[in-house]
Amino acid sequence: MKEEEIEYQKGNLHPLTLIMNEAVLILKDLGFSVEVGPELENEWYNFDALNVPKDHPARDMQDTFFIKGQEGKVLRTHTSNTQIRFMENLIKEGGNPPFAIVVPGKVFRNESTDATHEMQFHQIEGLVIGEDISVANMKGILLEFFKRFFNGEEVDIRLRPSYFPFVEPGFEVDLRRGEKWIELLGAGIVHPNVLKNCGVDSNKYQGFAFGMGLDRLMMMKLRIPDARLSYQGDLRLNQF
Amino acid sequence: MLISYNWLKRYIKEIPNEEDLINLITFKICELESVEKLPNGDTVFDMKILPDRAHDLLSHRGVAKEIAGILGIEFSESFLNDSLKEVFKQEKQEINENIQENLFINIQSPLCRRYVGRIVKGIEIGPSPKWMTDLLESVEQRSINNIVDITNFILFDIGQPIHAFDLDKLESPEIIVRNAKEGEQVELLGEKVGDTVKERNFILKENNLVISDKKDVLALAGVKGGKKAEVNQNTKNIIIEVANFDPVSIRKTARTFGIQTDAVKRYENELTPSICRDVIFEVSSLINLVCPNSSFGEIVDINNSKEEEKKVKFTTFYISKVLGCELEDNEIEKILKNHNYEYVRNYDLNEWEVIVPNNRLDITGPHDMAEEIGRVHGYEKIKPKIPELNFNHKDNEIWIKICLAKEKLVNDGYKEVITYTLTNKGEIEIMASTEGKNFLRTNLLDGLIKSYEINRLNMPLLDLSEIKIFEVGTIFTKDGEEVHVAYCDKKNKVEISLDEFVKNISDFSLKSYSTFNSQPTSFSMWSLYPFISRDISFWVPNEIENKKIFDVMKNNSGKLLIKEPYLFDKFTKGDKTSYAYRLVFQSNERTLKDEEVEEIMQGIYQNLTNLGFEIR
Repeated sequence: MKEEEIEYQKGNLHPLTLIMNEAVLILKDLGFSVEVGPELENEWYNFDALNVPKDHPARDMQDTFFIKGQEGKVLRTHTSNTQIRFMENLIKEGGNPPFAIVVPGKVFRNESTDATHEMQFHQIEGLVIGEDISVANMKGILLEFFKRFFNGEEVDIRLRPSYFPFVEPGFEVDLRRGEKWIELLGAGIVHPNVLKNCGVDSNKYQGFAFGMGLDRLMMMKLRIPDARLSYQGDLRLNQF
Repeated sequence: MLISYNWLKRYIKEIPNEEDLINLITFKICELESVEKLPNGDTVFDMKILPDRAHDLLSHRGVAKEIAGILGIEFSESFLNDSLKEVFKQEKQEINENIQENLFINIQSPLCRRYVGRIVKGIEIGPSPKWMTDLLESVEQRSINNIVDITNFILFDIGQPIHAFDLDKLESPEIIVRNAKEGEQVELLGEKVGDTVKERNFILKENNLVISDKKDVLALAGVKGGKKAEVNQNTKNIIIEVANFDPVSIRKTARTFGIQTDAVKRYENELTPSICRDVIFEVSSLINLVCPNSSFGEIVDINNSKEEEKKVKFTTFYISKVLGCELEDNEIEKILKNHNYEYVRNYDLNEWEVIVPNNRLDITGPHDMAEEIGRVHGYEKIKPKIPELNFNHKDNEIWIKICLAKEKLVNDGYKEVITYTLTNKGEIEIMASTEGKNFLRTNLLDGLIKSYEINRLNMPLLDLSEIKIFEVGTIFTKDGEEVHVAYCDKKNKVEISLDEFVKNISDFSLKSYSTFNSQPTSFSMWSLYPFISRDISFWVPNEIENKKIFDVMKNNSGKLLIKEPYLFDKFTKGDKTSYAYRLVFQSNERTLKDEEVEEIMQGIYQNLTNLGFEIR
């Protein structure tokens, strides 16, 4: 005979899912729609279409997992592949910008693992294309995102020059919570070659893209000390 | 790249102080890895030069020019002092009569875009001047001898790799640039590994570009020099090489042999061939400075590159539209002037036409000018502005299904885990991944069952009477990838495709996304040491409150009791109630011994017995 002390046990979500949903929800509220895409990808979608040429040092910027016996296949190193697939489809179906998409998903890098690096991790990327979407708009969206994500904490962002082949200008975006600035994400104005590669008229349309690690956001928001805890299948992580 | 403050100072008289430079570099050029004050009084900035600026900024001259351009202050084109400049100018015309031999350069491969060479005779190998060894030391380059130091110096000064061959070790004064013959061998100059110099023999392939004399390979072009024509203490006469090679070829060769040199880094990012001739003047004047008795042969310049003047057009309106702030014409003009751009302003079209400097291979269109101008203008001046985005696009269906499946499983009492995609067996193999992580998973259940086991063993820590877990994730087979749903509990171990799973959900509509119920509290990390759990059960008169028993257990357990005692069974028989509790002990610092837990349990038994309760 069991009594009321032994309560019905509820299910719950992994903290990464909660963080992902929260980030998606904020961006949906700002006008984005959600896209997802494949994890095993062609080099075209992961690199070439993103203005990362073959045999160019820029390909070294991300340590890539290649697939044995399948020339031209990689585990996606970022969720940007889905941005390309989305734009390609849009144009194919006779559509055109403007649009704003958010792409959450799992990505892979061939790195040695430590407390802040895993071979698999999760990213969230945003892409906004219109006729006059600017750096100012990018700053506006990102600042608003962080204000809501960190629940009204006092936050600020700043841009530093950076380089990613798929954007120009490219930025490193730092976030300030309280006193300290930390480097948090990459962003920039989408390179005209990327738009052209998808069939988007780069003379008429422009816009921004950004990408950040959800594992990192999770560690920051929930104060989880080690990225590797996420993938152990250990329910002690599900504290939220 | 290490950049010496003193080195920059030779180019910019009014250089800002070190502190101001840190900010300027960080917000207008690139990230700084470190800044170090050296014992020799110099300050060294470790700049993480952006890959698209490798063409011009992997050099002190390039960095100095950029800093001067940003600040609009004076930059002197050469760091050489005036008297030296005179020599340098003369050298441009003067061909020394003493040199009878003519250098012959024979380019047989299109991978060599330009090769400028010159014989220098009467070299006296010796130490370098102190100013040069000081600067080299600042950027962690060890002084070797005056000639080798000059080649190094030019590389870090201008960013153009150069090489010196010992003329007398060649079969004849002829330099051949060609593809290697299959199986041909070369012994390259030693690499310092710790305290020993390691020399290595390489067997070449046809796609490797080499520099050779009539008989042997003298160098892997653009990668590393060879042993045969090495400059050493006894060298008297040399050939200077200032060349430009195909970046992809250099990169492939360097990768094939696993050689990463400062020269490779610059060549693989591509350099402009247009500077080769100027560079050989500078090399000559430096050699003249350290070996005043040397005599110079004719400059031989074989130029197969076709560099055309590149122009980029843009409007002030475009720059403002990209940045999202109003820029004034005169600000743009000032930025162009400060950077020494040659430009034409078309007032009618309100358009600018800029002639791209040869070494700015990164600038290909107006978007690059938006970066160039925005960066100097200051990104901090751009005010955030949230755009109106009301496009009403639908969310991707797979995403909705994933959320729906998770929602359903959580409602059914399952907890979510995320396991590794990379595993030790499967149908798709990954190259160069760690042992045990070199395949993509073909199912979720293998990982989920492992997770089930971990959590089953941890049950006392989890306050769970049953483990129910699930994962939604991608699996990979020869036929492609698919999102699956798997869940696992005492009775079920189920895995089906996401589509199948969602079909069975009757109420197909996602009402809301699950997120945090309230402001989440901070995570608490668990101990990494094993726990020990003990169950205890006893009879208690019905009138005794649960709390009293609870307190006895808690108060006698000390710090090692890591959770509230967990009541897992309770029933009443007549005037007595039976309670069964689970106590979990664990230390954050060490592995607990059975005996110490036993001692704690004895204390609890004792106290409960003293109160007249009957241990079962």
